[in-house]
Amino acid sequence: MSPAPTVAELSAPYTNFLINPLAPSSHGVCSVCLTFTDGHATCYPCGHRPRFADGVLPISYSEAFGQLHTALAQYKRRTGPSAHALQLQLAAVLWRFLVDHEDCLARCAQVERFQLVTTVPSGDHARDAAHPLPRIVGELVGHTADRYRRLLVRSGTPVGERAVDPGKFSPTQELASEAVLLVDDTWTTGASAQSAAGALKTSGAGKVAVLVIGRHVNPKWGDNAERLRALARGFDWDRCAVHAADAAR
Amino acid sequence: MRPYGGVRGATGRRENIRLYLTVPEPSPTHETAALIALLRRGDRAWHHYAEIVEARGSALAVLEEGAPDELDAPTLFPKAEGEDVDLEAIIAEIDRWRTDGISVLSVLDERYPQNLRSIHDRPPLLFVRGALADADERSVAVVGTRRATDAGIDHAREVAGGLVDAGYTVISGLATGIDTAAHLGALDRGGRTLAVIGTGLRRAYPAANAPLQQRIAGEAAVVSQFWPDAPPSKRTFPMRNVVMSGLARATVIIEASHTSGARMQARFALEHGRPVFLLASLLEHDWAREHAERPGTYVVEDAGEIVDHVERLLAADTLTV
Repeated sequence: MSPAPTVAELSAPYTNFLINPLAPSSHGVCSVCLTFTDGHATCYPCGHRPRFADGVLPISYSEAFGQLHTALAQYKRRTGPSAHALQLQLAAVLWRFLVDHEDCLARCAQVERFQLVTTVPSGDHARDAAHPLPRIVGELVGHTADRYRRLLVRSGTPVGERAVDPGKFSPTQELASEAVLLVDDTWTTGASAQSAAGALKTSGAGKVAVLVIGRHVNPKWGDNAERLRALARGFDWDRCAVHAADAAR
Repeated sequence: MRPYGGVRGATGRRENIRLYLTVPEPSPTHETAALIALLRRGDRAWHHYAEIVEARGSALAVLEEGAPDELDAPTLFPKAEGEDVDLEAIIAEIDRWRTDGISVLSVLDERYPQNLRSIHDRPPLLFVRGALADADERSVAVVGTRRATDAGIDHAREVAGGLVDAGYTVISGLATGIDTAAHLGALDRGGRTLAVIGTGLRRAYPAANAPLQQRIAGEAAVVSQFWPDAPPSKRTFPMRNVVMSGLARATVIIEASHTSGARMQARFALEHGRPVFLLASLLEHDWAREHAERPGTYVVEDAGEIVDHVERLLAADTLTV
């Protein structure tokens, strides 16, 4: 039995394809979710739908059909050794990032620290029980395991996939103004994460901030492909979008 | 024949697709045929179809409805206006391949190799001669130059033998030199080895390796991402290196100059999030010393070290900071 691998070692190959997001204050970047816009301060979904999260921090951009996109899709499609290896690597990416940047997100949400950590329930009710993300955040990532609670489940209420509606989720317990770190794998329109943040607030949470591994970017839209290409390669683990914002100020 | 589905147009995009089927219920083979029809459109990169079809869970549905918004390009007009898709003709083609001993796995098939699923540039179809085994998930690619030295050949055989002894399947590219030595090193030790080739399965390149190709198909499997009659080309070999990296949990480079395809595979593997092992003797090359600095790369002396790293990195139950 070999010793447990370190998060730095396990996440190392991801350094080759993760992409540091731009600062939320940059021109042509959504100030909420950091996707590219055509000059507006927010993208369409963030600008036109309810926002419940007090902070949103993607670890990396996730280009459609790129390696991160693929890893974030495949880690939950199947079980077995190959899926297990992906889950370990993603856990390492999360842990390594949180050690350095959870405080940045807390600062952004104006809280001292997050007392509780939870995950956005799966869109697919049937798959929720077997979803690996709760196991990753609640067991594998030592940085969050002790604070993890399954605070939300998918409600039976039918809600449009792209609609922000706290009724999508039901709280499993009443909260007493605790600050909650809400983790999800991917942010596409933000509908699930914003709905989950809203549901947490309905159940009594204080500040709620969202951490996602990948901010989905479709290179076929606008000049996204060009803008992705212009970003620096070789992920810098010391940087996050909050740091980038501080530097820009 | 009757049109299947047809004028459904749920998204208003593909109202003119007619799929001709002779059976009321589409089978898995119909799904494979629908995927082949999508690929033959030539309108997208193949690996995009791999993701679109797997995400949707059905190639027939993608034929009818198109890709979901977050993966699609914006369009004002319906695509593939009035397209006729004769699935039965494609199924007849699949049957002819099968008669020839070639089976085709699609990403919708549960037997499609699991390791290969998680690379971004995976092929939507994999042609197989022989039989893949569940055990092949535990595999390492051993690759290197065609112009191998005697020492390189010895190293390849030793590493392949050591991997086989540790219960790993050895994956290589059936080229002359290091690849051939890796395959033989595994076979001589009674282990499993898979060959990933840069042509269709009805071809053998180099011709001198035709008997080895046959032997590997008999004992394990030869796989290809190319149509069965596809000839070798400058482009097909690096594409084959992508698949080799994807099938294996890690890649070992035994011996390679800076122009070698094996060197390219070292880059692909890192871009796939997989560890890369460079044999210490490679460090005489500038490219290898440079590559050794990249995150996820290990310099090793033998198979034992590789196995230790792979087990620690990919099969652990816990992590630590």
